[in-house]
Amino acid sequence: MAISLKENISIGFSDFWSRKIRSIVTITGIILGTMSIIVVLSLVNGINQQTLKWMMERGGLTKITVSRNWEYQSETDQKNYFTLKEFYLIRSLLPEAAYFTARISRNFETTYADNRFRSSVSGVLPDFKYIEDWDVSEGRFLSEFDLKNSTDVICIGSKVKEELFGNKQAVGQFITVADKRLRVIGVMEHRYMKGGNIGNENALSYMNRWCYIPLSTMINKIRNQDEIYSISLKSHTVEEASLLREKLEAIILNLRRNEPVFNIESAKEEAAQMEENAARFQLIFFLISAISLFVGGIVIMNIMLATIQERTREIGIRITVGARRRDIFLQFLVQTVVVTSLGGVLGIVFGLSILNLVGKYLDIQLIANGMMIGVALLVSAGVGLIFGISPAIKASKLNPVEALRYE
Amino acid sequence: MEKLILINNITKEYKMGKITVPALNGIDLEIAAGDFIAIMGPSGSGKSTLMHILGCLDTPTSGDYILNSEKVSAMKRNKLAAIRNREIGFVFQTFNLLPHLNIQKNVELPLMYSGLGKKQRIRQARKVLDEVGLSDRLRHKPSELSGGQRQRVAIARAIVNEPAIILADEPTGNLDTTSGNDILGIFSELHSQGHTIIIVTHDKAVADRADKVISLVDGLISNGNIS
Ligand SMILES: Nc1ncnc2c1ncn2[C@@H]1O[C@H](COP(=O)(O)OP(=O)(O)OP(=O)(O)O)[C@@H](O)[C@H]1O
Ligand SMILES: [Mg+2]
Repeated sequence: MAISLKENISIGFSDFWSRKIRSIVTITGIILGTMSIIVVLSLVNGINQQTLKWMMERGGLTKITVSRNWEYQSETDQKNYFTLKEFYLIRSLLPEAAYFTARISRNFETTYADNRFRSSVSGVLPDFKYIEDWDVSEGRFLSEFDLKNSTDVICIGSKVKEELFGNKQAVGQFITVADKRLRVIGVMEHRYMKGGNIGNENALSYMNRWCYIPLSTMINKIRNQDEIYSISLKSHTVEEASLLREKLEAIILNLRRNEPVFNIESAKEEAAQMEENAARFQLIFFLISAISLFVGGIVIMNIMLATIQERTREIGIRITVGARRRDIFLQFLVQTVVVTSLGGVLGIVFGLSILNLVGKYLDIQLIANGMMIGVALLVSAGVGLIFGISPAIKASKLNPVEALRYE
Repeated sequence: MEKLILINNITKEYKMGKITVPALNGIDLEIAAGDFIAIMGPSGSGKSTLMHILGCLDTPTSGDYILNSEKVSAMKRNKLAAIRNREIGFVFQTFNLLPHLNIQKNVELPLMYSGLGKKQRIRQARKVLDEVGLSDRLRHKPSELSGGQRQRVAIARAIVNEPAIILADEPTGNLDTTSGNDILGIFSELHSQGHTIIIVTHDKAVADRADKVISLVDGLISNGNIS
């Protein structure tokens, strides 16, 4: 006996349609609430994926970098750079690392014929191209031979090539850097991150302004000193990255009498940290959405109470022809859930349809997924379930004789 | 013969704040299966109150109501709902149809609460609507029908679950004489099919057709049986 759920849902829908305007007004809060859930979750997801993509572009999750800790102020006078000897010592202590490079960078004016371009020139090891996942598009990259012999060669970024050579052949030509004539042996691949434009500048375009020479050439022929402020390395697998970072940190602390002169950062751990931050951020916005849904729920509860008042006579009639308390209770509970779920569906549809708009406005790609849609649906149905209970109980407890007398 | 309905010294009081309004002051009544009973009496004499108690919509303040040898006051709520659903059909003066449902859906309503499948429900509803002469109006809303037609829908709804007892509280009160007579004809027909009919009426002609007329005055039965 009793009405099936399917039947109740269809009653819920027909009730909804016979009171269209009111129903739409009723669910506005739910629509806005689920919309904001979808938008916020997609936004956070988009930011996450963008950052992750950025990390992948900059060498991936196995990369570990050592750089100066700018917050550290030395009381003892621990050097805030590594000597070349120290660098090779560190490298020899970590044979499990896949790739290793030191880096000494300086801004120089590069010239070719009458063309000048201000570029950041870095002295690096041949491993650099594996650490940055970045190869040449023409010519070749620096070799072990170049490093060993401090050869006068340079690999230039695509922007440098464009500014100095235009459409002309660059590989094989000589350019001048700090009064030194260097032979261009390679042009680096053009760097561009899809969807990574900040204003009208691409997030990676600064890399195209860089040039690379052998570390030894930088130390011996240009700088005449070996102060290394930055070291990068890579583990073979993502799993090994944390352990490698820990070992590296221990070695460096040991070299600097346990003073935190350097920051040692693992991309993998940064990504994990970032995801943790995003989750926290997400929770805050989720709570804000929850508040708007709560308010929406209160509104629905009151409208349902008013609806039940209006439909008192109907309830009396249903009881007269045999409805049990449970039937009346379920009818109104299901109806509330139908209404809020419909609001949820509309909220999801509206939310998804404004993702691009919001994305364009914030200049971030918003990425929705099925999980978010599921969450939004569950939440909207849940609001109906929670806030529908009290009106449904009220309806189910009506006295039939009084209900029938109700005008 | 076992009585279908036994009413034993029933009273009903309505509490309105501090005042108690007595509506029934000790009613005794016996109704056998197949009886056609007319209840008459002036306005406010307690006719509707009695009908509500008979229809298991209301409970008496004191006294016993025994239906089919079972004490109604001892029944659980769900059992009462089942009785309203299967044993009793109620017809009101004001029709009491659901305005946003078409008439077929209105008639299906009791079958829905019986848990009948959709196909059977539709078949049953159409059958009884055919019996009351409305098979060409299945999709009409109650507001598109005349008063007499609406009351026929209400009767169809009351009989769709084939209840033993049909209770009608002034079913012709809102109708003109012609359609009123049509409706009364239907009740006679139902009676001849074996239904027990209890009808509240002001119409002497109806009372003449009844097996028994009960006159209520101030919540009391004023005379005995008229044959
Ligand atoms: N819910 C209620 N609250 C208070 N008093 C009520 C209620 N229902 C009925 N009464 C009172 O009980 C008495 C009997 O009412 P009832 O409706 O049974 O009369 P009736 O015989 O059906 O009258 P009518 O012919 O006008 O329909 C009346 O005095 C009425 O005012
Ligand atoms: Mg009355």
